[in-house]
Amino acid sequence: MIQALRNLQTSAPEVIAAANTLEQLATVEQAMTGQGSPIQQARTGMRNLPNEDKPAAGKQLKETTGVVQGLLQKRRADLALAAENEKLKTDTVDITLPGVQRRVGVPHLLTATMAEVSDIFTGLGYRVAEGPEVETGWYNFDALNTPSDHPARAESDTLYVDYGDPEDEMLLRTQTSPMQARYMQDHEPPVYVVVPGRVFRTDTLDPTHSPVFHQIEGLAVDNNITFSDLKGTLAHFAREFFGEGTKTLFLPHFFPFTEPSAEMHVSCFNCEGTGARCRVCGGSGWIEILGCGMVDPNVFEAVGYDADKVSGFAFGMGVERLAMIRHGLTHIKHLYENDQRVVRQYR
Amino acid sequence: MKVSLNWLKDFVDLPTNEPEELGAVFASLGHELEGIEILPRSFDGIVVGRVETIVPHPNADKVRLCTVITTGDPQEIICGAWNFEVGAVVAVAVPGASLDNGDFKITQRDIRGITSNGMICSSKELGLGDDQEGIMVLDRNTPIGSDFADLVALPDAILDLTITPNRGDAMSMLGLARELAAYYDTDVKLPSVDVTEGGEVFDMPVTIEDGEDCNRFLARRVTGITMGESPLWMQQRLAAAGVRSISNVVDISNYVMMELGQPNHTFDYDKINGNMIQVRRAVTGETLKTLDGVERELTPDDLLVADADGPSSLAGTMGGADSEVSATTTNVLVESAAWNPPTIMRMSRRLNLRSEASARFERGVDVNLPELAANRVACLLGEICGGTVSPGTVDVVAKSVEPWTVKLPLTLVKRVLGLDLAPNEVAKLLSRLNLVATGQDELSVVIPTYRRDLTRPIDLVEEVARLYGFDNFPDTLPSGPGGGLSAQQVRLRKMRTVLSSAGVSEAQTFSFHGAAAFEKLGLSADDERQSAINVRNPLREEESLLRTTLLPGLLQSIGFNTRHGIKSVALYEIGKVFYNEDSPEFGVIPNQPDHFAFALIGDEGGEGMYETGREVDVYSGTSIVRALADRMGLGEVTFATISEMPLHPGRAAEVFVGDKRVGIVGELHPTVASNWELEGRVVVGEFDLEPFIDDPGLWQFTEPSIYPHVDFDLAFELDVAVSSGAVVGAIRTAAGLVLETVAVFDEFSGGNLAEGKKSLALHLRLRDAHKTLSQEEVAPTRQACIDAVEQLGGVLRGA
Repeated sequence: MIQALRNLQTSAPEVIAAANTLEQLATVEQAMTGQGSPIQQARTGMRNLPNEDKPAAGKQLKETTGVVQGLLQKRRADLALAAENEKLKTDTVDITLPGVQRRVGVPHLLTATMAEVSDIFTGLGYRVAEGPEVETGWYNFDALNTPSDHPARAESDTLYVDYGDPEDEMLLRTQTSPMQARYMQDHEPPVYVVVPGRVFRTDTLDPTHSPVFHQIEGLAVDNNITFSDLKGTLAHFAREFFGEGTKTLFLPHFFPFTEPSAEMHVSCFNCEGTGARCRVCGGSGWIEILGCGMVDPNVFEAVGYDADKVSGFAFGMGVERLAMIRHGLTHIKHLYENDQRVVRQYR
Repeated sequence: MKVSLNWLKDFVDLPTNEPEELGAVFASLGHELEGIEILPRSFDGIVVGRVETIVPHPNADKVRLCTVITTGDPQEIICGAWNFEVGAVVAVAVPGASLDNGDFKITQRDIRGITSNGMICSSKELGLGDDQEGIMVLDRNTPIGSDFADLVALPDAILDLTITPNRGDAMSMLGLARELAAYYDTDVKLPSVDVTEGGEVFDMPVTIEDGEDCNRFLARRVTGITMGESPLWMQQRLAAAGVRSISNVVDISNYVMMELGQPNHTFDYDKINGNMIQVRRAVTGETLKTLDGVERELTPDDLLVADADGPSSLAGTMGGADSEVSATTTNVLVESAAWNPPTIMRMSRRLNLRSEASARFERGVDVNLPELAANRVACLLGEICGGTVSPGTVDVVAKSVEPWTVKLPLTLVKRVLGLDLAPNEVAKLLSRLNLVATGQDELSVVIPTYRRDLTRPIDLVEEVARLYGFDNFPDTLPSGPGGGLSAQQVRLRKMRTVLSSAGVSEAQTFSFHGAAAFEKLGLSADDERQSAINVRNPLREEESLLRTTLLPGLLQSIGFNTRHGIKSVALYEIGKVFYNEDSPEFGVIPNQPDHFAFALIGDEGGEGMYETGREVDVYSGTSIVRALADRMGLGEVTFATISEMPLHPGRAAEVFVGDKRVGIVGELHPTVASNWELEGRVVVGEFDLEPFIDDPGLWQFTEPSIYPHVDFDLAFELDVAVSSGAVVGAIRTAAGLVLETVAVFDEFSGGNLAEGKKSLALHLRLRDAHKTLSQEEVAPTRQACIDAVEQLGGVLRGA
């Protein structure tokens, strides 16, 4: 009996390895462990053995059974894996087909640009405020030191609306700056805020003008805000928005609501000042980006701040212009037609 | 403003002749450089000629056939300009000459059958200025045949600068020379004004009606002048400044304006009636024929210089045709006055007469300048036109201006600029601008009267900064109290992300539209959206009403796309609408809440690889609302059918969050869709933005149950009028807390169902948070759900 088990144990590896399908393996298993097999015979023959032979035979039976079962299990797993692999070989696709794609919507370039600029300033500790688009002449002009005979207040520049008391000169705000005045009226200094929003002018649509466009205004008022703070803040913005190596140039200018006033130019991100025919800067190497300046004391007075105690700076930039020069848009209308061939280009 | 460097150098010695460098200096002082033009250094082949004959071209109307003598025989030249007559001395480009820095070669050319042997040149063709309408007519004493190159002052460069509206004083060679002198810390040289007088004393009664309109009126008389062309040097400088040469007298007047910044006017003295002048407002009904030949009706807003017979000129704006100097003029009255800026601005705008003179008066001219300017004009009339300056100056000062003092505390310089400058350092900077500063902690600064813009301490702070140099300030960052987006702003961004992931792209459309938009939406006459605010001065009818709904803009955008072949579009917009009622937040201004709206057309998924084969319908709209409600944590959203334009009467709903109505969603009424030229179903929704971005409070974690779930389906036959929303609601109430989800998975009518009936199939999942549900617990819950739906008239199917 022991010899028969030993023989089985010796021949089993070869016999099991020779089984090439799960079906063949089942037959082999039957022959080795099923009815009439050496293992089965040993189990039934055990009781007839003399007691002194039982331990040796039992040990051999356990060993042989373990070896054979192990080999069978291993072979079964190998064959199953091979069969699965064989089946997968035929389960193939044309991977270049698109399948059904789920459409993802696109945020508008203007919204994305305003968010990007706002984020640069929230990173510096600014808040973001928005204000009404229909405004009074007081907030849009008077509070910003723009007298009643100023040409910007003419109907050729400003869109007026019929609402309320004509004394209030109700108008579509021509700049985001009126929110400066409202924000200061509602908040004690220190004030650090940017105001993105929609503004309006009496303009005919042409490549760079639209009766509707967007600006981002910024305002910082605190105890010791200086012209250097204005320069440093906007230079930081320029580097964040246009790239690390961007240089800035501040040139004196005139705005009614700031003094001193400046226009900020940035070094051209397209040609870095080298391209004589650069589409962005025209070869000058500089691009005018925004107007800025130290808040005029008359503005502080209008909103009830003490101009002898606080100082501040303000700036404003055109969102369409920022977006158009950065991405090379040729006409402002592309930002308002919502042509999906344009919109899908936004990244 | 265009500035000849040669002219500028009459007034200031400069350490450099480099135009780029000087342009950069001007820019750094706040006079923006628009461009630089380098004048040609060569006039090879340009000679002085005299026009001998002029006849019409036999084959062309717009040009004339001239014979011109230069060095040899008279040559035939065809010329398209009409501003000269026989005898005119002109610059001629003979064949072989090259203009425009060599880019334009002059050859013999056949023009309509006649050979033209060269060209009679305009200042633009010569590269001296912008004027190309008329040719340059030279002084008759210029030697015929001489080389033009020997006569012009070259090289020169023209800087094109933009002068800001606060700096009227910089709109002249003298003013800009002062700026450079300040920059280089040197002095300006005033022009020589050495008036030689002779003949009868000049006197004339002048009355000024209102000293506010006219602060000062000054006049001089020059007799015995000879009209003609001005000398080339003057023409060249005027051309550089963009001023056309007219005649020696007019050129002198313009020259002094460009030089000193004082606009002045020359009258034919003999055409002043009654030897008197009144400065007064026009009377309604008065008219004046101005220099440009236009007969103008005047109003009491207009300010006049009038003589005994009536208006002679529009003050500071344009002269009158009747008193204009002409070829026969021998005696000239020179007017040099100080007008009130707003008066001139109103008048020039009303009459649409913007001139070099009005541009200067609008910005403000020094009240103490007229005398110098009148004397300079008188001098030049003497020198160039052979006139004699009469002794006597008529000078009526209605409002005199003396230099004023502005106090400048050094603490202000420190606070605004961050500069720790000593009193003498500030005084030194200011002195470069001829501002005399004395004192210590608070400087007393005396302002010359030409700097009308310097009236407040902060104005002087700006001057300190300008001369200190913006580039020389260090860059620093202030440290604020901390900021960031508000909760609503964060939620708005999240909302945009949800909309993007739902496949909807953002649109931006104009905030106004025309009246036709409401008609196309089919709004009833009493629809409150019709009560839109008018734009008073729109440029186009399509911009005449402020939007009360975002739908017109979105539908227009959808239409733009479908017309361009993009048939499946999903757009949303978030923006303000404007109501004809006061703002609850801001008071007197209109209420202008933010709206959120969307519009969908075509395939549910989009075009091409996005295509699903399912056309959008009302559920495409409600699913967007549900997605937003879910992701934005709005709580339960319910839909109630409405029948209201512009929506389809059977496929539209009011949307509620809790019991608050937040907007509408539905398919467009087919008539409305066709009004907007849209085909197929168009789905729209419009909502108040606020409920979507209002903070619903922090969400709190719910422990997922570890116990198994029990799923089962129920199907009911119901009246079609019973909404699935009602059925789901009833089941929720009946099942109680063990109900995890309930969802409609099938709805149909027809088939074996009776007319007016529908089948509704629902999938339910029960799960208890604390234990495994037993069959004994599931069965009564299932029965409670069935009972609840039976209350709505439902009958369990397949039971």
